[in-house]
Amino acid sequence: MANQKAFYFDASSCIGCKACQNACKDKYDLPLGIRWRRVFEYGGGNWLFMDGVETPNNVFKYYVSTACQHCANPVCRDVCPAAAITKRADGIVLIDPDKCIGCRYCQWACPYGAPQFNEETKVMTKCTFCADLQDQGLNPACVDACVMRCLEVGDYEELRQKYGSLAAIEPLPTANITKPSLVITPHKHAQPSGQGTGSILSLSEEV
Amino acid sequence: MTEKNFLTKVINETALSRRSFLKWSAALGGTAALAGGMNFGLKTVEAAAETAATQDNWVTVACWHNCGGRCLIKANVIDGVVTRVKTDDTHPDSPDFPVQRACVRGRSQRMQIFGADRLKYPMKRKNWTPGGGKKELRGKDEWVRISWDEALDIVSSELKNVKEKYGNEAILSPGTGSWLLNAYGGCWETWGMVSIGAWPQPVAHMTGRNAVYTFFGEGGASDRMELRNSKLIVLWGANPAWSSAGNPAYNYQQAKKAGAKIICVDPILSATNVALADEWIPVRPSTDTALLLGMAYYMITNNLQDQEFLDKFTVGFDSGHMPEGADPKENFKDYVLGISDGIAKTPEWASQICGTNPEVIRSFAQEIATTKPMAMLSSFAPARTYIGEQFCQAFLTVGWMTGNVGIPGGMVAENGHATAGNQGNPLVSAGATGITAPPNPISAGTMAAFFGMTPDMGTLGIVWDEAWSAVVNGEFTEAFNKKHKVDIHLIWCIGEAAALNQHPNVNEGIEAFRKVDFVVTSSHFLTTNAKYSDVVLPATTQWEREGALLTGNREMMIYGQKAIEPLFEAKDDVTSNVSTTTGWIEMEIGKRLGLDVDTLVPLSLKQQVFNQLAGSAVIKPDGSGYEPLLTITADDISAMGVDGKPQTGRITYQEFKEKGIYQVPRTPGDNLGFLAYKAFRADPVANPLSTPSGKLQIHSANLVKSIKMYGWTEVTPIPTYRPPLQGYEATFENFDTRVKGKFPLQIWTPHYMRRSHSVYDNVTWLREAFPQELWINPIDAEARGIKNGDTVLVTSPHGKVIRHAKVTPGIVVGAVALGEGAWADRDDSTGIDMAGATNSLSGTTPTGQGVQPWNTNIGQVEKYTGDPLEADYKWPQRIPIKEA
Repeated sequence: MANQKAFYFDASSCIGCKACQNACKDKYDLPLGIRWRRVFEYGGGNWLFMDGVETPNNVFKYYVSTACQHCANPVCRDVCPAAAITKRADGIVLIDPDKCIGCRYCQWACPYGAPQFNEETKVMTKCTFCADLQDQGLNPACVDACVMRCLEVGDYEELRQKYGSLAAIEPLPTANITKPSLVITPHKHAQPSGQGTGSILSLSEEV
Repeated sequence: MTEKNFLTKVINETALSRRSFLKWSAALGGTAALAGGMNFGLKTVEAAAETAATQDNWVTVACWHNCGGRCLIKANVIDGVVTRVKTDDTHPDSPDFPVQRACVRGRSQRMQIFGADRLKYPMKRKNWTPGGGKKELRGKDEWVRISWDEALDIVSSELKNVKEKYGNEAILSPGTGSWLLNAYGGCWETWGMVSIGAWPQPVAHMTGRNAVYTFFGEGGASDRMELRNSKLIVLWGANPAWSSAGNPAYNYQQAKKAGAKIICVDPILSATNVALADEWIPVRPSTDTALLLGMAYYMITNNLQDQEFLDKFTVGFDSGHMPEGADPKENFKDYVLGISDGIAKTPEWASQICGTNPEVIRSFAQEIATTKPMAMLSSFAPARTYIGEQFCQAFLTVGWMTGNVGIPGGMVAENGHATAGNQGNPLVSAGATGITAPPNPISAGTMAAFFGMTPDMGTLGIVWDEAWSAVVNGEFTEAFNKKHKVDIHLIWCIGEAAALNQHPNVNEGIEAFRKVDFVVTSSHFLTTNAKYSDVVLPATTQWEREGALLTGNREMMIYGQKAIEPLFEAKDDVTSNVSTTTGWIEMEIGKRLGLDVDTLVPLSLKQQVFNQLAGSAVIKPDGSGYEPLLTITADDISAMGVDGKPQTGRITYQEFKEKGIYQVPRTPGDNLGFLAYKAFRADPVANPLSTPSGKLQIHSANLVKSIKMYGWTEVTPIPTYRPPLQGYEATFENFDTRVKGKFPLQIWTPHYMRRSHSVYDNVTWLREAFPQELWINPIDAEARGIKNGDTVLVTSPHGKVIRHAKVTPGIVVGAVALGEGAWADRDDSTGIDMAGATNSLSGTTPTGQGVQPWNTNIGQVEKYTGDPLEADYKWPQRIPIKEA
């Protein structure tokens, strides 16, 4: 797409501090349990008894901060029976709460878990890419919150030219499902999506 | 409905407009429906963009907590309510001149200030009667709303009665003390090394430095620009990503980009390690000394030590270079080689204690000995251990063996908190408030003892570890072989709402709180300390007070300003500027006691803030000295309504107020850097250290003397390893045969991202982001049938907690970790703390110079057979009176 806004995420520097997650919650007053941006801790390896002591063997960990990827192929939109999900000219995918009927099809379809159901309003919600801020020329709340400067927003093609074409590492799904508007610099221990030897270490209540 | 009643009160008692109320209520968990819905999508995006420009009213507010960071928070204040926060956007961000971005805690602070669990009015315990009244119900009694007049009358008369009946020595003010009590004849304060662990005395006697500068200025480490000259950076027990949030981790990243290799030594694979380190050296908690000795053995036996440096700049390394009067046999080298005690401190010997693979010990030692310049930086955590001085001694000594002292990019020192990775003289600082504390006739308190000063135990006060046992058992340690009898009848926690939770041994603390005649606490929330009190007084936060100048890292100063009116009936317990200064609450109590409170605090808060502003100083661009920071006009002074004279400075007061921050621009090679030990390294004869030899002292007889004076544990003049009480060796019934005992695991307590110590523990968004989880290695978990997310019971010799297990390979085998600071929530029927406060597991085990050895503990973990725990963020908030 000629005109597509995208997130860049530097997994090599993320400290998993979740400033992005809560900057988002602060901007949108998100209720508990709804995290439009969230951070996974992924890791693996084991310990072996060597030279008389338990010794780490390929033990690794890294963090992945993720939100809606405003995909080139937004399956959430495609499955919505109410036509409540649209993609703007700049590629931002939005849910119209007045049209949403709360059927949750988008939640099931999205491999990133981006659309999340608000139990109180009975509609789906998700990352808006802070379209309101971007329309004023400002950065999304999460981008300006990152203390390690791991998040950026920009034109998808320009970000790819700058940082490469990687759009998936564990525990994210492979990129061929929805064509996410995402560019990743991998952590040195990052594992390819679908081929990881580790697991999500975050407790389920956390993500 | 409770929530509805609460919200009705919000509207009635704070006189908010409906519009403001809706915005606020949207922020309160579980009330979103009342707020008109969470209306996100196309329409609100457009609407938000339209209204954003007219609705912005950003005020710089304080993020004042004792986390180690100090960052900029701006609050969007609309109709008296904060609708959103943001962080530093006052200048373009760059690695040399970075903006002061706030961490997740600061970003969540709106949920703290406007939490549904904020205390709203004074309360007393239902069964309270003068002098006590069913004291055993403290912590589980119901609460009754009372007026401020009644509350202040109760507190004054209880204080007066205790003083008249038992004298001032019957009053305990744990933690920071009280100006009011000082003026009223004094009280017992508590003191201890708390954060810094065992560092101050070794630093004082081995380097001649005062460890106060480890926190506030020119310490033993250099500034952040010097780190970019390092080829190797060793972060020992340091996780600045969590414990010094804000820019320190980002600053280390710049050193990494400049080519430094980073190695983390830690029992956990920390967040800092994940993002920055090339290598993880796992080590069991409280055993770092053994690791260091194993490294020293490798270095000595391979002749890798910088002998020239040791000979010229240190004493005590070998028999040929001993300080005057010392036994030549008492040298470090002979101890390491086993010549003096028959035990060679080989990597294999070390490995059996510290758990680090011996091959790794050798390669690590090789690397630090052969890479220059190297920065070897320890946090305070490895010294927050039993006989932790031995770690400090060994760390400095092994560091000095590499010669990385006083050279660009080379440093060997403790650092952390606000100076993590960035020590040096403050480049901008605030003036004095113009008021000073009256002396406490009974105990000098925390600060006097804190930083390596010679202890005068008779007047110091009660060490943190013994605060509760002093109440329960009637005595505390005053000095070597000396106990002081006390009979405490009143616990005073005005301005201190965390003492019960944050002193060691909560269980003994609860006993103490239930023993005395009266307990008063001022607080923002029903903290555990407040919960076990008789009278609880609602306090303002710094967002509701006059303002404050906040400093942290050396390059900036923040002007936190009053953003909102006090919520509900909250009043100032302390002032914004000095945490121990008497505020409105103590002033009102003072009036009832007939004290001249105007003399006690002779200046208004406004005047105190003005004095700080007027006295603010900034470094001159050439680094040659300081000049006034602010230009203040006669109009500014009259608008502030204070006494003062116009002055000229670097920037205008109006600019400072609007930006809320002044940050000194930095570039590499400017005149504002700091290189520790530069003069000493250049010429040790002309610039001797303040040690008896004028050199770095690997051997220090004075250290031995000073530690002995405190009366708990002793140290040796050179670094040696002795097994600590409740250390790794204590996990065995028989260490020689390696038969494990009743408490086969080590327990240690890292700083956790959810909190700044105990502050923020109640904030729902942080509970959601960071569960209070127990970290356990898969090998230890599997042996106990524990899976990720299982509820587990942790038992130590001192107490029990339950928590969710986080099974992770990112922790050493045989040790479990639990973040410090959760608000203890003990079920009296089982003795189990459901919230997982680490002090529910810690005991009364004072050591060294008054160190709280939180990282030296043992315990057992098993699957919990009761109901599984609910996620922390789903727990009901502590709202003491639901139907008010």
